[in-house]
Amino acid sequence: MPLTGARLWALAATLAALALAVTLMALALGSAGLDVELIRTLRAPRVAAAAGVGALLALSGLAMQSLLRNPLADPYVLGTSGGAAVGALLALVFGVAMTLGAAAGALAAGAVLLWLARRALATTDDASPRLILAGAMLAALFGAIASLLLSLTPDQRLRGAIFWLVGDLSGTDDAGVSLLAAVVFTGWFVWRERAIDRLLLGSVAAHLLGEPVKRLRFELLLGASLAAALAVASAGAIGFVGLVVPHALRLAGVQRTRDLALLAPVGGAALLVAADLLARTVVLPLELPVGAVMALVGAPVFVWFLARGGR
Amino acid sequence: MLQTHGLTLAAAGRELVRGLDWRVEPGQRWCVIGRNAAGKSTLLRALAGVGEVGVVQRGEVHWQGRGQRDWSAIDAAALRAFMPQQAIDRFPITVARLLELSIVRPHQDRQAVLAALELAALAPRPVLELSGGERQRVALAQCVLQGAPLLMLDEPVAFQDPAHQALVARWLSTRAASDQALVISAHDVNWIARTATHVLALLPTGQCEQGTAAQLLEAGLLERVYGCGWRAVGGVWVAD
Repeated sequence: MPLTGARLWALAATLAALALAVTLMALALGSAGLDVELIRTLRAPRVAAAAGVGALLALSGLAMQSLLRNPLADPYVLGTSGGAAVGALLALVFGVAMTLGAAAGALAAGAVLLWLARRALATTDDASPRLILAGAMLAALFGAIASLLLSLTPDQRLRGAIFWLVGDLSGTDDAGVSLLAAVVFTGWFVWRERAIDRLLLGSVAAHLLGEPVKRLRFELLLGASLAAALAVASAGAIGFVGLVVPHALRLAGVQRTRDLALLAPVGGAALLVAADLLARTVVLPLELPVGAVMALVGAPVFVWFLARGGR
Repeated sequence: MLQTHGLTLAAAGRELVRGLDWRVEPGQRWCVIGRNAAGKSTLLRALAGVGEVGVVQRGEVHWQGRGQRDWSAIDAAALRAFMPQQAIDRFPITVARLLELSIVRPHQDRQAVLAALELAALAPRPVLELSGGERQRVALAQCVLQGAPLLMLDEPVAFQDPAHQALVARWLSTRAASDQALVISAHDVNWIARTATHVLALLPTGQCEQGTAAQLLEAGLLERVYGCGWRAVGGVWVAD
């Protein structure tokens, strides 16, 4: 049943408490135990980066779902993250700023996806099955291009490049940008919530109600792509956050775009901080790539969600 | 309120509607009749200004004397509402939220509309859990709550049981009393007879016949429209 009023606040409070607990644990736990200097210089920036990237990925997923009117849309599944990764790798090869390359790649991938979906979105209002397939193929294509680029990467850069493609938070130091972008994107969602909720009724329905459908779609594409690009540029291609966080919130009964946009970044941040905590503590002293941990833990959870709430 | 000038609609190389000149005035309730695939939905979509891939449109549609294309999306939303044959829901929102999102000009009495369509108890329910008939009445409520005076309804009683077909017929008959106009597509001739003031018949040739319901609902025209014989048995139309 849909959540309203007090029960929605209770969910928000629970989520915030969870995020806080996970953050404190991530700051306290690690190979060298409690050490104020270590926490300040190493763990805190990493936890902040994980939180920023997690929040951006959750928001990017929410935007893709609204854009394509499909609750299973996600920047990783549909190739936007792959496009960002290829863009970043190309930037690495040609010596351009990686964030710029990632943004260009993500935007290009998103535009191709929207172009593939245009007919379905304009006619039946329902681009679901074919769109997911097209996105999966796009993701596979970008994966292949990334592999080709990796084989061209000089050996001394190879290890960094690979780790970064799987999704890794160890080298991240620009959490401020991610966190700020997440706040701005959330604000945009709250400001536009009525128009986006109407778009979820279908493009024809939104048009009939007077919404500027094309402009709204463009803004959503831009936001989803830029958020995915920022996330990929700072932590590599991490899947699953954008898919599972909004989905779990919807299964819990959150229905409005405003509420989803406020809660999803908190959930995404908590999830990625927890996954990174696992990645760097499970097999001490080894560090695992957080993208792999995310998928290993997250995919079964998602399937369980589907089996429980699906029809 | 609504006029067409030489409106021609063609799809898949076939002319569905040819050169339609037509006026819909406030207070009128028009029913569009025609065989399956005659172009009723295509016509309603064109009148509502909702583009359709693969349909070629010539001629003009005017709303309140002004060309359809000259209206901004926001002004158009305050003038006309359109109820498609079937809503496709993808996300779990409640009926109450759906109805709230549908309001453009908030001047309808929401509770009265919900009560009249027997929807009041459904308000907290998620739309994905409604039956076909319930969802259709919610769509009808959405359309009315939008607050536009020109309503276009594509088969509004296709999924309704007989009691609710009668309920919708009675209720629609009170809608267009004053400043509103309705254009409805439907198949049940007896339902049309009790609902419509006027009838627009799409013939298989692409030609159209128009007039009052009393003029047009007669055996000869019905036979031309549907291609089968018709008898009135005790005031009820029966197809042979």
